[in-house]
Amino acid sequence: MLREIQQVLRFVQLLGKRRQQSGLNVKGGLLVLVWTETGPSVQSLNCAVAAAGPWCIGINMKALQPDLKECMFPCACPCLPPDPEELCAFTDLYGSLRLLLTFQMKDASPEWCARIETFLHTYSLANAKIKIHFKFKFSQQTFQRDFSVKIKNKAGGNQRSLILDVTCRTQPPECVKKGCWCQGGHPVLGDRLPLSIPPAAMDQGLFGELSIQAVTLLSPCVLQYPNLPTQLTHIQVLVYGPSNVPVTGPSTFFQNLPAHLDCQEVGLHGLHCSSFKDLVHSGGTVYTVEQENCEDPEQESSPAPIRQSLLLYIFLQHSDPFTYQLSDMMATEVLIERHLEDILNNNKQAVTKAVQTELKNTLKAQNQRKKKMRSAAEVILGSSLSIVSSSSNMDFRNACLHSMKMSDTYDLSASLRESLRRVTSWKFTPKNICYSAQVEEYPESDEPTRTEI
Amino acid sequence: MSLMGSSVAELFSAIDKLRAELLNNVEVLTDCQRVEGEISHGEILSLIENVILGIVTSLSKDEAPFLALPDRSNWANISFDSAIGLRMTLGSSVTTIRSDCPSSVTKFAQILKIFVVIYKLVQSNSYATKRFFVVNSHFEKITKLATSKGLISGDLCYMEEDGTRIDCRSCSAAAAVSSNIAGIRNIVSHAKFIMIVEKDATFQRLLDDDFCTKLSPCIMITGKGVPDVNSRLMVRKLWDTLHIPILALVDADPHGIEIMCIYKYGSVSMSFEAHSLTVPSVMWLGLLPSDLQRLRVPEDVLIPLTKRDESKLSSLLKRPYLASQPEWQKEMELMQQSKVKAEIQSLAAIAPDFLTNIYLPNKLRYGGWV
Repeated sequence: MLREIQQVLRFVQLLGKRRQQSGLNVKGGLLVLVWTETGPSVQSLNCAVAAAGPWCIGINMKALQPDLKECMFPCACPCLPPDPEELCAFTDLYGSLRLLLTFQMKDASPEWCARIETFLHTYSLANAKIKIHFKFKFSQQTFQRDFSVKIKNKAGGNQRSLILDVTCRTQPPECVKKGCWCQGGHPVLGDRLPLSIPPAAMDQGLFGELSIQAVTLLSPCVLQYPNLPTQLTHIQVLVYGPSNVPVTGPSTFFQNLPAHLDCQEVGLHGLHCSSFKDLVHSGGTVYTVEQENCEDPEQESSPAPIRQSLLLYIFLQHSDPFTYQLSDMMATEVLIERHLEDILNNNKQAVTKAVQTELKNTLKAQNQRKKKMRSAAEVILGSSLSIVSSSSNMDFRNACLHSMKMSDTYDLSASLRESLRRVTSWKFTPKNICYSAQVEEYPESDEPTRTEI
Repeated sequence: MSLMGSSVAELFSAIDKLRAELLNNVEVLTDCQRVEGEISHGEILSLIENVILGIVTSLSKDEAPFLALPDRSNWANISFDSAIGLRMTLGSSVTTIRSDCPSSVTKFAQILKIFVVIYKLVQSNSYATKRFFVVNSHFEKITKLATSKGLISGDLCYMEEDGTRIDCRSCSAAAAVSSNIAGIRNIVSHAKFIMIVEKDATFQRLLDDDFCTKLSPCIMITGKGVPDVNSRLMVRKLWDTLHIPILALVDADPHGIEIMCIYKYGSVSMSFEAHSLTVPSVMWLGLLPSDLQRLRVPEDVLIPLTKRDESKLSSLLKRPYLASQPEWQKEMELMQQSKVKAEIQSLAAIAPDFLTNIYLPNKLRYGGWV
């Protein structure tokens, strides 16, 4: 079922590209309805995918050739059309339908809900201008989720314009004042890496130039709090095809990647791939960052470090002057996805190095700042205490101890350390690039409006 | 003209006359005045303790500590005193160094680290060779030393603080300027004048040509370009002790003139120590822009002024101290008009030994300084 939804999205995206519409101004709506239908012997899952709005202007359903439809859904069976009321609600928002495709699958399972939801969420992250409405009805229960991006950011080189969802979904700390927390993120565009196409893929008809473009996004953004301790807990790798549609399925290459990364160079203690269960529901590949054991109790930070996660987008790019028919372009994307493991393994060293570099560059500035503050704090405290300890001026010593309400220099040391950490950690430096907003209450979320499954 | 054929009296008559004028006109800081400017070890310790107490007090109030330093690169904090040169006045311009800002926390920490070292040095009444500290002016008065780069040669003997005897009369080699100028004792010299030489190359050339013997008794010193503090302190020390004319030999270019001004009037960055570093009586011996015309230095050794040279020249002409130096102004305006500069080595185009055997002796004999 995911493949069919994938194909529809590819179709719309590639059609948009062919019409040479820039991704920047293309917005619209996507409706995905999934419902069960009980047949004579087995429960089937029906799916309707509808699109409306500027992003699919020019699509003429009547002109859609039957063989193209065949190409998109070679394995799917036709099904009944969806509830017109559902479609009405959609068209009320986005205008008349430009695309409506339906198909049916045998072997319905409620697990499809989570998988489709994850897929659509992943799609939404890299296509932030498209509002997605997902409804899954299984037996008597309904799950519904609307993906509407609050904060978008453009990230793209010459070849491709990307509109990413950079909304930060982390609650700001309680002590943060109004208007002093960045609710978005700042994607960092990496270098483009050309890839060589392995012979097996070429035999299947994959030619042209293939490359990957990496983009990293650290969340939440703490640029305005340069002294705040942070702790990277997760790294998520999402892979997208040339049409910006996510590649489905777990990737063995990325699962095994941590073993080949130099974590020390990146500034991490260690990385390991998260469990299969996490993979299915999180989209892409997720790594858990190993945390350093804190031997020194004084080093255990107060305030507690801000937990951050890093999103690593891998965008596949392909160009072939001999591929211009829509069906050929869609077939090429299918080929790329099918041979993706082979392609990545064929370029293992280069891809590993590229990922290493992107992670290092993204974390470098933050790590350097933390290191600088930490080492400077040690010098400040050491120097101050050295003078207090070695002074023969009792008035001076007593004034220092009295000021901090301490009885001896040992207690003074701990007290000064804690105080320095406290006063420097929450230093706020406003940044124009940040999406600071009123932090009265946490802003409206696009979390699912769940009617329980 | 043979130097040996002239009497010493004739050779130095102009120099002696200059010396007499200088002693009449220039204020000389007496020893007791200098002593008044110094602060005691106890005061230094107290000053540092006050800074630390300020830091502790800030932290006790949950405020990020910061240091406020007079901005030493801002002309707003500088005034010109004809007796001293450029001096720092505590104006409104301060630099704030915060402990909670990533861009300044390192500097904050470095300053505190330096305080610890100074504190310990003062407590133990010792000194050590270190790079020069950039701190509040009060802390310059403690004994700390910087490695010197200057050289000195000529009729001069003195003793360093550790008892080492320095004799600068060697014909072939120069002595390094001492690292502890304040500790120099028992200065003995019959020199008639001191010549500050801008560049090491010129200094070595003069050494090779036995200049100090030919124009004996004299002293020559170089800071090898922009002088370090010890070279400037040495020049000042010699002036305070010997009260003899100090003549500068620099290239006829804006950079050379600026170097000469540093010796004479001081620098913005060290203005807080002006009274121990400047020698307002320094005279410009050469190479003067008017010399280039007068001596008809060949055009092929003259260098056109660059845009940067012109900009520096304009800036020099606007300096507050130029107002009291009309002759210098004339020379600099001449350079501006001619749009050329020349190095001292260009005199070799007239004759290989022109500098040592003709130019300098005549300049000194006939008072060719401004």
